[in-house]
Amino acid sequence: MPDLSGVQQRFVDWLLHTDPAFAGDVADDGRIPLETRLGIYRNAYALRLMEALMDAYPALHTLLGDARFEDLARAYIDAHPSSYRSIRWFGDRMAAFLRDRPPYREQPVLAEMAAFEWALRGAFDAADVRPLTRAALAGIPPEAWAGLRFVFHPSLARLDLGWNVPRLWRAIDAGEAPVPPEAAEYPVGWAIWRRDLRTWFRSLEVDEAWALDRMRAGAAFAEVCAGLAEWIDEPYVPERAAGFVAQWLGDGLIVTADH
Amino acid sequence: MNISLLRPPLAPLGGVAKARHSPCDDSLPRLAQGHEEHPRKTRYSCATGISPITYPHLGFGLGLRKEHYQAVLDRRPPVDWFEAITENYLVPGGKPLYFLERVRNHYPLVLHGVSLSIGSADPLDRDYLRQVKDLAARIEPAWISDHLCFTGVGGVNAHDLLPLPYTGEAVRHVAQRIREVQDCLGRRILVENVSSYLNYRSSEMSEWAFLSAVAEEADCLILLDINNIYVSARNHGFDPLDYLDGVPPERVQQHHLAGHQDYGDYIVDTHDHPVIDPVWALYGEAVQRFGPVSCMIERDARIPPLDTLLEEVERMRAIAAGGQAAHA
Repeated sequence: MPDLSGVQQRFVDWLLHTDPAFAGDVADDGRIPLETRLGIYRNAYALRLMEALMDAYPALHTLLGDARFEDLARAYIDAHPSSYRSIRWFGDRMAAFLRDRPPYREQPVLAEMAAFEWALRGAFDAADVRPLTRAALAGIPPEAWAGLRFVFHPSLARLDLGWNVPRLWRAIDAGEAPVPPEAAEYPVGWAIWRRDLRTWFRSLEVDEAWALDRMRAGAAFAEVCAGLAEWIDEPYVPERAAGFVAQWLGDGLIVTADH
Repeated sequence: MNISLLRPPLAPLGGVAKARHSPCDDSLPRLAQGHEEHPRKTRYSCATGISPITYPHLGFGLGLRKEHYQAVLDRRPPVDWFEAITENYLVPGGKPLYFLERVRNHYPLVLHGVSLSIGSADPLDRDYLRQVKDLAARIEPAWISDHLCFTGVGGVNAHDLLPLPYTGEAVRHVAQRIREVQDCLGRRILVENVSSYLNYRSSEMSEWAFLSAVAEEADCLILLDINNIYVSARNHGFDPLDYLDGVPPERVQQHHLAGHQDYGDYIVDTHDHPVIDPVWALYGEAVQRFGPVSCMIERDARIPPLDTLLEEVERMRAIAAGGQAAHA
């Protein structure tokens, strides 16, 4: 279909790049100016994608303000047109875009906020899996613990944030007075996940973040215990590691335990 | 009420179903494009509706929106059915599917897609179709609809309902693809007329002739959006009654009613306002011509309280009752 694909490509080139060639395909009936007809589609395209970004990144929007967010949205839409069937996935590269692109990269808190909001969105509609119960874990014989490996909830995301992004997000979400962005002395680990229908996030101490990352990568419990000696005196490692597991269970982060 | 009674029977698939490959499968040997007497001309029978090819009448419905999830479950409003936007539920889990399933426990649902892109020159997205099919297996919609348009080409999705040129070439292209979709989903689908703001130099026929030719050639059903007819009539200067008179009544399964924004010289279909009186009047005309067709109110932005939309549902019901009396 040479004609059909050609006209469709010109239409899309008009929407994405304001390529004027498409005007030649459009009938001019003298009732409404051609520019108006073409402009309706061009405006609707940008507006719809901008609304999708506002929906995905409300706190980033607040941090930047309307005018700067609109500039950002237009730049992002130009750089990363949607290839997704569902508009829900549009905007997935925002954190990377902000990390790389001037002037946004001069304010690393922006990329971190985008990463945080995208993780919240991912947790919101991640797959439903029932967490492991304490009783199921208690049934595992002590001698099997060394070889224990966990599968974590599909909603779980891990971020290391150098800024007080979750604090900023909470203030914005609650409509409270703005909190100034502040850099931490060192990056802080965060876990973001959903339990039933509620999304949660909490900070992790450095050894817990490491242990969680190792176990998510498939390490066995004994390996993680050995590694924890980096932070903790040997005799206290088992208690510390068991404490993490209890916390993860309580949070609903673990879905299966294999041994 | 036993909801399963409302579920349209899945029509038996013809020769295609006996093939070794699933009709949703990419590996399905492609038939030559064109006009051979292909074995894909599956005729679907669902002879339980008003006409021999339509699904059963559902009554008067409302678009399901997240703002109303809790109110719908708490109050069980007097709405006969809900229409859900397919893409909103093509997610792994969480609240959207939780609420959809609960609403489905109490009401018939239909799935209304926005990104099938049935008119696109790009290949059909088999992965998307499989997702729709899985969702349909999960919630058992009374029917599945999408739009007679394209939403992008060259791998780009513009997330807009872009009009097609009304040409014989486009009729053949779209009809062939609708057949493939119907084979994959194992059921007739509905295609909806979109609001449009431009027409092509290459168009060879009216929009309603195009819609009718596609529906006949594809053996599919029509979701006739009354507001979109009104919007396009204003934007292109045709008589909306010509449109109503130009579509095959036996294929009209559903209507949409919605509001729009009037800019004087033209109107933009925004679904963010109440239905206006001329659109109600046009709906009355549709009732005269098509009789009892399932109809629903669409609102996608500036979502008002549920009660405001329920008033529109009641007005729709009253017009249909009056029109049916006149029709009889």
